Amino acid sequence: MSKELIERVSNYLNNNVQIELISQGAEAVVFITHSHPYLPNASDDKEQYIIKYRPAKKYRHPAIDKALTKHRTLSESRILAKLSQIDGINVPKLIACDVYNGCIWLEFLGVDLPNQCGFSNLKNFLWMSVADPYSQLVEDVLIKVGRQIGLLQWNDYCHGDLTTSNIVLVPENGTWSAFLIDFGLGSSSNLVEDKAVDLYVLERAIISTHSSFADKYNQWIMQGFSQIYELHGKSGLKKLKEITRRFEDVRLRGRKRSMIG
Amino acid sequence: MTETMIPQFPDYSIYAGLYVEVANSKELHSVVSNLPFAFIEADTICSREQLFSAVYKALIESSFNKQRTKTLNSECILSLSPTSNIGEAFKRFGISEKTSRIVVLSIVAKTEKAILEAKELIHGVGVDLTDEALESGYDLGLIKKVCSRCTQLFERLKKANLLLTTSRYIELQI
Ligand SMILES: Nc1ncnc2c1ncn2[C@@H]1O[C@H](COP(=O)(O)O)[C@@H](O)[C@H]1O
Repeated sequence: MSKELIERVSNYLNNNVQIELISQGAEAVVFITHSHPYLPNASDDKEQYIIKYRPAKKYRHPAIDKALTKHRTLSESRILAKLSQIDGINVPKLIACDVYNGCIWLEFLGVDLPNQCGFSNLKNFLWMSVADPYSQLVEDVLIKVGRQIGLLQWNDYCHGDLTTSNIVLVPENGTWSAFLIDFGLGSSSNLVEDKAVDLYVLERAIISTHSSFADKYNQWIMQGFSQIYELHGKSGLKKLKEITRRFEDVRLRGRKRSMIG
Repeated sequence: MTETMIPQFPDYSIYAGLYVEVANSKELHSVVSNLPFAFIEADTICSREQLFSAVYKALIESSFNKQRTKTLNSECILSLSPTSNIGEAFKRFGISEKTSRIVVLSIVAKTEKAILEAKELIHGVGVDLTDEALESGYDLGLIKKVCSRCTQLFERLKKANLLLTTSRYIELQI
Protein backbone atom coordinates (compact mmCIF):
# COMPACT_ATOMS: atom_id res chain seq x y z
CA MET A 1 0.00 0.00 0.00
CA SER A 2 1.36 3.41 -0.85
CA LYS A 3 2.90 5.51 1.87
CA GLU A 4 0.56 8.33 1.07
CA LEU A 5 -2.48 6.12 1.52
CA ILE A 6 -1.23 4.79 4.85
CA GLU A 7 -0.70 8.33 6.01
CA ARG A 8 -4.15 9.36 4.93
CA VAL A 9 -5.83 6.49 6.76
CA SER A 10 -3.80 7.04 9.93
CA ASN A 11 -4.59 10.72 9.84
CA TYR A 12 -8.24 10.02 9.50
CA LEU A 13 -8.45 7.30 12.14
CA ASN A 14 -5.95 8.87 14.49
CA ASN A 15 -3.05 7.04 16.11
CA ASN A 16 -5.28 5.74 18.87
CA VAL A 17 -6.70 3.30 16.36
CA GLN A 18 -3.94 0.87 15.51
CA ILE A 19 -4.62 -0.90 12.25
CA GLU A 20 -3.24 -3.82 10.33
CA LEU A 21 -3.81 -4.12 6.61
CA ILE A 22 -5.40 -7.41 5.56
CA SER A 23 -6.65 -6.74 2.07
CA GLN A 24 -6.36 -4.17 -0.65
CA GLY A 25 -8.88 -4.21 -3.45
CA ALA A 26 -9.64 -1.85 -6.30
CA GLU A 27 -12.48 -0.29 -4.38
CA ALA A 28 -11.53 -0.57 -0.71
CA VAL A 29 -8.77 -1.36 1.74
CA VAL A 30 -9.56 -3.57 4.70
CA PHE A 31 -7.89 -3.42 8.10
CA ILE A 32 -8.11 -5.24 11.40
CA THR A 33 -8.10 -3.27 14.63
CA HIS A 34 -8.46 -4.01 18.33
CA SER A 35 -10.18 -0.68 18.94
CA HIS A 36 -13.94 -0.44 19.12
CA PRO A 37 -15.05 2.76 17.37
CA TYR A 38 -16.92 4.13 20.36
CA LEU A 39 -17.72 1.68 23.17
CA PRO A 40 -15.75 2.46 26.34
CA ASN A 41 -13.70 -0.43 27.65
CA ALA A 42 -14.50 -2.61 24.67
CA SER A 43 -11.08 -2.34 23.14
CA ASP A 44 -8.83 -5.18 24.17
CA ASP A 45 -6.38 -7.52 22.55
CA LYS A 46 -8.88 -10.34 22.19
CA GLU A 47 -11.53 -8.37 20.32
CA GLN A 48 -11.05 -7.59 16.66
CA TYR A 49 -12.98 -5.35 14.33
CA ILE A 50 -12.87 -4.82 10.61
CA ILE A 51 -12.40 -1.37 9.14
CA LYS A 52 -13.29 -1.05 5.47
CA TYR A 53 -12.07 2.17 3.96
CA ARG A 54 -12.72 3.53 0.49
CA PRO A 55 -9.87 5.90 -0.31
CA ALA A 56 -10.42 8.93 -2.50
CA LYS A 57 -9.52 8.35 -6.12
CA LYS A 58 -7.20 11.02 -7.44
CA TYR A 59 -8.20 10.59 -11.08
CA ARG A 60 -11.81 11.54 -10.37
CA HIS A 61 -13.11 15.04 -9.93
CA PRO A 62 -13.18 15.63 -6.13
CA ALA A 63 -16.89 16.43 -6.02
CA ILE A 64 -17.79 13.37 -8.06
CA ASP A 65 -15.44 11.23 -6.02
CA LYS A 66 -17.02 12.41 -2.79
CA ALA A 67 -20.52 11.71 -4.02
CA LEU A 68 -19.55 8.26 -5.28
CA THR A 69 -17.78 7.30 -2.07
CA LYS A 70 -20.76 8.38 -0.04
CA HIS A 71 -23.15 6.55 -2.29
CA ARG A 72 -21.21 3.28 -2.21
CA THR A 73 -20.50 3.34 1.49
CA LEU A 74 -24.13 4.04 2.19
CA SER A 75 -25.29 1.36 -0.17
CA GLU A 76 -23.11 -1.32 1.43
CA SER A 77 -24.08 -0.22 4.95
CA ARG A 78 -27.73 -0.12 4.10
CA ILE A 79 -27.72 -3.62 2.67
CA LEU A 80 -25.87 -4.95 5.71
CA ALA A 81 -28.30 -3.21 8.06
CA LYS A 82 -31.30 -4.58 6.17
CA LEU A 83 -29.90 -8.10 5.93
CA SER A 84 -29.11 -8.19 9.64
CA GLN A 85 -32.79 -7.68 10.29
CA ILE A 86 -33.80 -10.78 8.36
CA ASP A 87 -34.11 -13.94 10.43
CA GLY A 88 -31.56 -16.55 9.51
CA ILE A 89 -29.30 -14.47 7.31
CA ASN A 90 -25.72 -14.36 8.56
CA VAL A 91 -23.76 -11.22 7.77
CA PRO A 92 -21.26 -9.23 9.81
CA LYS A 93 -22.79 -6.74 12.19
CA LEU A 94 -22.41 -3.14 11.11
CA ILE A 95 -20.84 -1.30 14.02
CA ALA A 96 -20.21 2.18 12.68
CA CYS A 97 -20.32 4.09 9.47
CA ASP A 98 -18.89 7.38 8.26
CA VAL A 99 -20.21 7.96 4.78
CA TYR A 100 -18.31 11.24 4.35
CA ASN A 101 -14.97 9.50 4.56
CA GLY A 102 -16.02 6.16 3.10
CA CYS A 103 -15.40 4.18 6.23
CA ILE A 104 -17.36 1.38 7.86
CA TRP A 105 -16.59 -0.74 10.92
CA LEU A 106 -17.76 -4.33 11.00
CA GLU A 107 -17.78 -7.26 13.32
CA PHE A 108 -14.80 -9.50 12.63
CA LEU A 109 -15.79 -12.98 11.58
CA GLY A 110 -13.92 -16.22 11.16
CA VAL A 111 -10.90 -17.94 12.68
CA ASP A 112 -7.58 -19.37 11.60
CA LEU A 113 -8.03 -22.90 10.33
CA PRO A 114 -5.87 -25.60 11.90
CA ASN A 115 -2.57 -26.72 10.32
CA GLN A 116 -1.80 -23.40 8.66
CA CYS A 117 -4.73 -23.77 6.32
CA GLY A 118 -5.38 -20.04 6.53
CA PHE A 119 -8.38 -17.91 7.31
CA SER A 120 -11.71 -19.75 7.53
CA ASN A 121 -13.29 -18.69 4.29
CA LEU A 122 -14.97 -21.33 2.14
CA LYS A 123 -12.05 -21.49 -0.25
CA ASN A 124 -9.51 -22.39 2.42
CA PHE A 125 -11.95 -24.72 4.12
CA LEU A 126 -12.42 -26.72 0.92
CA TRP A 127 -8.66 -26.87 0.43
CA MET A 128 -8.27 -28.09 3.97
CA SER A 129 -10.85 -30.82 3.35
CA VAL A 130 -9.17 -32.20 0.26
CA ALA A 131 -8.05 -35.37 2.07
CA ASP A 132 -11.67 -36.28 2.70
CA PRO A 133 -13.48 -34.16 0.11
CA TYR A 134 -16.91 -35.73 0.39
CA SER A 135 -17.13 -35.85 4.18
CA GLN A 136 -20.37 -35.24 6.02
CA LEU A 137 -18.86 -32.00 7.31
CA VAL A 138 -18.15 -30.67 3.82
CA GLU A 139 -21.65 -31.62 2.73
CA ASP A 140 -23.21 -29.87 5.75
CA VAL A 141 -21.18 -26.73 5.20
CA LEU A 142 -22.02 -26.48 1.50
CA ILE A 143 -25.72 -27.03 2.16
CA LYS A 144 -25.57 -24.24 4.72
CA VAL A 145 -23.84 -22.00 2.19
CA GLY A 146 -26.63 -22.74 -0.26
CA ARG A 147 -29.23 -21.89 2.35
CA GLN A 148 -27.61 -18.52 3.00
CA ILE A 149 -27.75 -17.69 -0.69
CA GLY A 150 -31.31 -18.99 -0.84
CA LEU A 151 -32.34 -16.75 2.04
CA LEU A 152 -30.61 -13.79 0.46
CA GLN A 153 -32.33 -14.24 -2.87
CA TRP A 154 -35.69 -15.23 -1.44
CA ASN A 155 -35.62 -11.81 0.23
CA ASP A 156 -34.75 -10.20 -3.11
CA TYR A 157 -31.13 -9.31 -2.49
CA CYS A 158 -28.17 -10.16 -4.65
CA HIS A 159 -24.58 -10.33 -3.52
CA GLY A 160 -22.91 -9.26 -6.75
CA ASP A 161 -19.56 -10.95 -6.08
CA LEU A 162 -20.19 -14.41 -4.69
CA THR A 163 -16.76 -15.96 -4.53
CA THR A 164 -15.50 -18.61 -2.13
CA SER A 165 -13.48 -15.90 -0.34
CA ASN A 166 -16.61 -13.91 0.35
CA ILE A 167 -18.15 -16.78 2.29
CA VAL A 168 -16.73 -17.00 5.80
CA LEU A 169 -17.18 -19.95 8.14
CA VAL A 170 -17.61 -19.30 11.82
CA PRO A 171 -17.32 -22.09 14.41
CA GLU A 172 -20.57 -22.66 16.23
CA ASN A 173 -21.52 -25.52 18.55
CA GLY A 174 -18.88 -27.86 17.19
CA THR A 175 -19.74 -27.20 13.57
CA TRP A 176 -19.57 -24.27 11.14
CA SER A 177 -22.01 -21.50 10.30
CA ALA A 178 -21.77 -19.80 6.92
CA PHE A 179 -21.63 -16.00 6.73
CA LEU A 180 -21.72 -13.82 3.64
CA ILE A 181 -19.35 -10.85 3.54
CA ASP A 182 -18.51 -7.97 1.20
CA PHE A 183 -21.72 -6.41 -0.05
CA GLY A 184 -19.82 -3.72 -1.93
CA LEU A 185 -21.53 -4.87 -5.12
CA GLY A 186 -24.70 -6.00 -3.42
CA SER A 187 -28.12 -4.82 -4.46
CA SER A 188 -31.74 -5.19 -3.72
CA SER A 189 -33.09 -6.95 -6.78
CA ASN A 190 -35.96 -9.17 -7.70
CA LEU A 191 -34.63 -9.81 -11.21
CA VAL A 192 -34.28 -13.48 -12.04
CA GLU A 193 -31.28 -12.60 -14.18
CA ASP A 194 -29.35 -11.04 -11.27
CA LYS A 195 -30.06 -14.03 -9.10
CA ALA A 196 -29.00 -16.52 -11.74
CA VAL A 197 -25.78 -14.60 -12.34
CA ASP A 198 -25.02 -14.68 -8.61
CA LEU A 199 -25.35 -18.46 -8.63
CA TYR A 200 -23.31 -18.76 -11.80
CA VAL A 201 -20.45 -16.69 -10.39
CA LEU A 202 -20.22 -18.96 -7.36
CA GLU A 203 -20.44 -22.09 -9.50
CA ARG A 204 -17.52 -20.84 -11.60
CA ALA A 205 -15.54 -20.07 -8.45
CA ILE A 206 -16.05 -23.59 -7.17
CA ILE A 207 -15.15 -25.10 -10.54
CA SER A 208 -11.98 -23.06 -10.89
CA THR A 209 -10.54 -23.79 -7.46
CA HIS A 210 -11.89 -27.23 -6.61
CA SER A 211 -12.49 -28.70 -10.04
CA SER A 212 -12.28 -32.41 -9.16
CA PHE A 213 -15.11 -32.15 -6.66
CA ALA A 214 -17.02 -29.26 -8.18
CA ASP A 215 -20.02 -31.24 -9.44
CA LYS A 216 -20.88 -32.61 -6.04
CA TYR A 217 -20.08 -29.33 -4.32
CA ASN A 218 -22.30 -27.28 -6.59
CA GLN A 219 -25.04 -29.86 -6.19
CA TRP A 220 -24.89 -29.52 -2.40
CA ILE A 221 -25.00 -25.74 -2.64
CA MET A 222 -28.06 -25.92 -4.87
CA GLN A 223 -29.62 -28.43 -2.50
CA GLY A 224 -29.38 -25.91 0.34
CA PHE A 225 -30.53 -23.11 -1.93
CA SER A 226 -33.62 -25.08 -2.99
CA GLN A 227 -34.50 -25.97 0.61
CA ILE A 228 -35.24 -22.31 1.33
CA TYR A 229 -37.58 -21.95 -1.65
CA GLU A 230 -39.27 -25.26 -0.89
CA LEU A 231 -40.31 -23.86 2.47
CA HIS A 232 -42.62 -21.47 0.66
CA GLY A 233 -45.01 -23.84 -1.08
CA LYS A 234 -46.20 -23.36 -4.60
CA SER A 235 -44.98 -19.80 -5.06
CA GLY A 236 -41.56 -20.79 -3.74
CA LEU A 237 -41.31 -23.68 -6.16
CA LYS A 238 -42.36 -21.47 -9.04
CA LYS A 239 -39.67 -18.92 -8.24
CA LEU A 240 -37.10 -21.67 -7.75
CA LYS A 241 -37.90 -23.04 -11.19
CA GLU A 242 -37.53 -19.60 -12.78
CA ILE A 243 -34.15 -19.10 -11.20
CA THR A 244 -32.77 -22.55 -11.99
CA ARG A 245 -33.98 -22.26 -15.60
CA ARG A 246 -32.30 -18.91 -15.99
CA PHE A 247 -29.22 -20.29 -14.27
CA GLU A 248 -28.98 -22.85 -17.07
CA ASP A 249 -29.32 -20.08 -19.67
CA VAL A 250 -26.58 -18.07 -18.04
CA ARG A 251 -24.36 -21.12 -17.92
CA LEU A 252 -24.99 -21.76 -21.61
CA ARG A 253 -24.20 -18.17 -22.48
CA GLY A 254 -21.02 -18.42 -20.46
CA ARG A 255 -19.96 -21.56 -22.29
CA LYS A 256 -20.59 -19.97 -25.69
CA ARG A 257 -18.61 -16.95 -24.70
CA SER A 258 -15.65 -19.02 -23.61
CA MET A 259 -15.80 -21.01 -26.85
CA ILE A 260 -15.65 -17.85 -28.91
CA GLY A 261 -13.25 -16.00 -26.61
CA MET B 1 -19.87 10.30 35.92
CA THR B 2 -17.07 8.50 34.20
CA GLU B 3 -14.79 10.01 31.61
CA THR B 4 -14.08 8.22 28.37
CA MET B 5 -13.21 9.10 24.83
CA ILE B 6 -13.82 8.03 21.27
CA PRO B 7 -10.48 6.79 19.90
CA GLN B 8 -10.95 8.62 16.63
CA PHE B 9 -11.68 11.93 18.40
CA PRO B 10 -9.06 12.31 21.13
CA ASP B 11 -9.65 16.06 21.33
CA TYR B 12 -12.91 15.48 23.15
CA SER B 13 -13.61 14.09 26.58
CA ILE B 14 -16.89 12.32 27.05
CA TYR B 15 -18.51 12.25 30.46
CA ALA B 16 -21.39 9.87 31.01
CA GLY B 17 -23.41 8.82 34.00
CA LEU B 18 -26.70 7.35 35.13
CA TYR B 19 -28.87 8.75 37.88
CA VAL B 20 -31.88 6.96 39.34
CA GLU B 21 -34.58 8.00 41.81
CA VAL B 22 -34.28 11.55 40.54
CA ALA B 23 -36.54 13.85 42.55
CA ASN B 24 -36.10 17.22 40.84
CA SER B 25 -36.68 16.49 37.17
CA LYS B 26 -39.25 19.29 36.99
CA GLU B 27 -36.58 21.79 37.92
CA LEU B 28 -33.96 20.16 35.69
CA HIS B 29 -36.33 20.15 32.76
CA SER B 30 -36.79 23.90 33.03
CA VAL B 31 -33.08 24.71 32.96
CA VAL B 32 -31.64 21.93 30.82
CA SER B 33 -31.22 24.03 27.69
CA ASN B 34 -28.76 26.27 29.51
CA LEU B 35 -26.65 23.49 30.94
CA PRO B 36 -23.55 21.94 29.37
CA PHE B 37 -25.16 18.49 29.45
CA ALA B 38 -27.49 16.27 27.55
CA PHE B 39 -30.07 14.94 29.97
CA ILE B 40 -31.52 11.83 28.38
CA GLU B 41 -34.61 9.91 29.45
CA ALA B 42 -32.91 6.68 30.57
CA ASP B 43 -36.04 4.67 29.86
CA THR B 44 -35.31 5.12 26.15
CA ILE B 45 -31.79 3.69 26.36
CA CYS B 46 -31.31 -0.06 26.38
CA SER B 47 -27.54 -0.40 26.00
CA ARG B 48 -24.28 1.49 26.08
CA GLU B 49 -23.96 0.66 22.43
CA GLN B 50 -27.13 2.59 21.63
CA LEU B 51 -25.89 5.56 23.62
CA PHE B 52 -22.30 5.72 22.47
CA SER B 53 -23.06 5.07 18.83
CA ALA B 54 -25.08 8.28 19.01
CA VAL B 55 -22.06 10.08 20.44
CA TYR B 56 -19.93 8.72 17.62
CA LYS B 57 -22.48 9.81 15.05
CA ALA B 58 -22.70 13.29 16.55
CA LEU B 59 -18.93 13.68 16.33
CA ILE B 60 -18.84 12.38 12.76
CA GLU B 61 -21.58 14.76 11.68
CA SER B 62 -20.07 17.81 13.36
CA SER B 63 -16.52 17.04 12.18
CA PHE B 64 -17.17 16.00 8.59
CA ASN B 65 -20.59 17.24 7.64
CA LYS B 66 -22.52 19.79 9.63
CA GLN B 67 -23.79 20.01 13.13
CA ARG B 68 -27.52 20.58 13.07
CA THR B 69 -28.07 21.64 16.68
CA LYS B 70 -26.46 24.24 18.94
CA THR B 71 -24.11 21.98 20.86
CA LEU B 72 -22.53 18.55 20.62
CA ASN B 73 -24.62 17.52 23.60
CA SER B 74 -27.87 18.27 21.86
CA GLU B 75 -26.47 16.72 18.69
CA CYS B 76 -26.25 13.43 20.60
CA ILE B 77 -29.94 13.58 21.41
CA LEU B 78 -30.73 14.23 17.77
CA SER B 79 -28.51 11.30 16.83
CA LEU B 80 -30.58 8.98 18.99
CA SER B 81 -33.73 9.87 17.14
CA PRO B 82 -35.15 8.10 14.11
CA THR B 83 -36.29 11.40 12.62
CA SER B 84 -34.30 14.50 11.76
CA ASN B 85 -36.81 16.73 13.54
CA ILE B 86 -34.94 18.35 16.41
CA GLY B 87 -37.97 19.26 18.50
CA GLU B 88 -39.30 15.76 18.22
CA ALA B 89 -35.94 14.28 19.20
CA PHE B 90 -35.91 16.35 22.39
CA LYS B 91 -39.46 15.40 23.19
CA ARG B 92 -38.73 11.74 22.72
CA PHE B 93 -35.27 11.31 24.15
CA GLY B 94 -34.90 14.34 26.41
CA ILE B 95 -36.11 14.32 29.99
CA SER B 96 -39.62 15.30 30.98
CA GLU B 97 -40.90 16.74 34.22
CA LYS B 98 -41.69 13.22 35.37
CA THR B 99 -38.39 11.55 34.54
CA SER B 100 -36.91 9.56 37.39
CA ARG B 101 -33.93 7.97 35.61
CA ILE B 102 -31.52 10.17 33.69
CA VAL B 103 -28.55 9.41 31.49
CA VAL B 104 -26.24 12.40 31.63
CA LEU B 105 -23.85 13.02 28.82
CA SER B 106 -21.35 15.76 28.22
CA ILE B 107 -18.92 16.13 25.36
CA VAL B 108 -16.21 18.61 26.15
CA ALA B 109 -13.41 19.72 23.87
CA LYS B 110 -10.09 19.21 25.66
CA THR B 111 -9.35 22.87 25.06
CA GLU B 112 -12.36 23.85 27.12
CA LYS B 113 -12.49 23.56 30.83
CA ALA B 114 -14.86 20.90 32.03
CA ILE B 115 -17.29 22.19 34.58
CA LEU B 116 -19.05 19.09 35.61
CA GLU B 117 -21.34 19.41 38.50
CA ALA B 118 -24.18 17.16 37.46
CA LYS B 119 -23.96 15.54 40.87
CA GLU B 120 -24.89 18.77 42.55
CA LEU B 121 -27.65 19.56 40.11
CA ILE B 122 -29.38 16.23 40.13
CA HIS B 123 -31.18 15.15 43.26
CA GLY B 124 -30.86 11.45 42.76
CA VAL B 125 -28.64 8.43 43.16
CA GLY B 126 -25.66 8.06 40.84
CA VAL B 127 -25.10 4.50 39.63
CA ASP B 128 -22.60 2.98 37.22
CA LEU B 129 -23.60 3.31 33.61
CA THR B 130 -23.43 -0.39 32.79
CA ASP B 131 -25.36 -2.45 30.27
CA GLU B 132 -26.95 -4.28 33.18
CA ALA B 133 -28.22 -1.05 34.72
CA LEU B 134 -29.64 0.16 31.41
CA GLU B 135 -31.04 -3.24 30.56
CA SER B 136 -32.90 -3.53 33.84
CA GLY B 137 -34.48 -0.12 33.56
CA TYR B 138 -35.44 0.62 30.00
CA ASP B 139 -39.05 0.72 28.90
CA LEU B 140 -39.69 -1.44 25.87
CA GLY B 141 -43.08 0.13 25.23
CA LEU B 142 -41.56 3.58 25.25
CA ILE B 143 -38.70 2.63 22.97
CA LYS B 144 -41.19 1.17 20.54
CA LYS B 145 -43.07 4.42 20.62
CA VAL B 146 -40.08 6.71 20.18
CA CYS B 147 -38.54 4.55 17.50
CA SER B 148 -41.78 4.12 15.62
CA ARG B 149 -40.06 3.40 12.35
CA CYS B 150 -38.29 0.46 13.91
CA THR B 151 -41.20 -0.83 15.94
CA GLN B 152 -41.51 -4.34 14.62
CA LEU B 153 -37.82 -4.59 14.20
CA PHE B 154 -36.88 -3.59 17.68
CA GLU B 155 -37.04 -6.95 19.36
CA ARG B 156 -35.22 -8.67 16.57
CA LEU B 157 -32.59 -5.98 16.51
CA LYS B 158 -32.16 -6.23 20.21
CA LYS B 159 -31.92 -9.98 20.05
CA ALA B 160 -29.36 -9.80 17.31
CA ASN B 161 -27.56 -7.26 19.46
CA LEU B 162 -27.73 -4.87 16.58
CA LEU B 163 -27.14 -1.23 16.54
CA LEU B 164 -30.36 0.66 16.65
CA THR B 165 -28.72 3.97 16.12
CA THR B 166 -26.50 2.96 13.27
CA SER B 167 -29.36 1.25 11.50
CA ARG B 168 -31.54 4.28 11.94
CA TYR B 169 -28.76 6.55 10.86
CA ILE B 170 -28.58 4.69 7.63
CA GLU B 171 -32.32 4.70 7.11
CA LEU B 172 -32.31 8.43 7.56
CA GLN B 173 -29.80 8.93 4.83
CA ILE B 174 -31.64 6.97 2.20
N1 LIG C 1 -16.34 -9.07 8.58
C1 LIG C 1 -15.17 -9.62 8.23
N2 LIG C 1 -14.59 -10.54 9.03
C2 LIG C 1 -13.39 -11.09 8.67
N3 LIG C 1 -12.72 -10.81 7.57
C3 LIG C 1 -13.24 -9.90 6.74
C4 LIG C 1 -14.49 -9.27 7.02
N4 LIG C 1 -14.75 -8.40 6.02
C5 LIG C 1 -13.72 -8.51 5.15
N5 LIG C 1 -12.80 -9.41 5.57
C6 LIG C 1 -11.55 -9.80 4.90
O1 LIG C 1 -11.14 -8.77 4.01
C7 LIG C 1 -11.16 -9.24 2.66
C8 LIG C 1 -11.63 -8.15 1.73
O2 LIG C 1 -12.87 -7.64 2.17
P1 LIG C 1 -13.95 -7.09 1.12
O3 LIG C 1 -13.31 -5.90 0.47
O4 LIG C 1 -15.15 -6.74 1.93
O5 LIG C 1 -14.16 -8.22 0.18
C9 LIG C 1 -12.07 -10.45 2.69
O6 LIG C 1 -11.80 -11.37 1.68
C10 LIG C 1 -11.78 -11.02 4.07
O7 LIG C 1 -10.63 -11.80 4.08
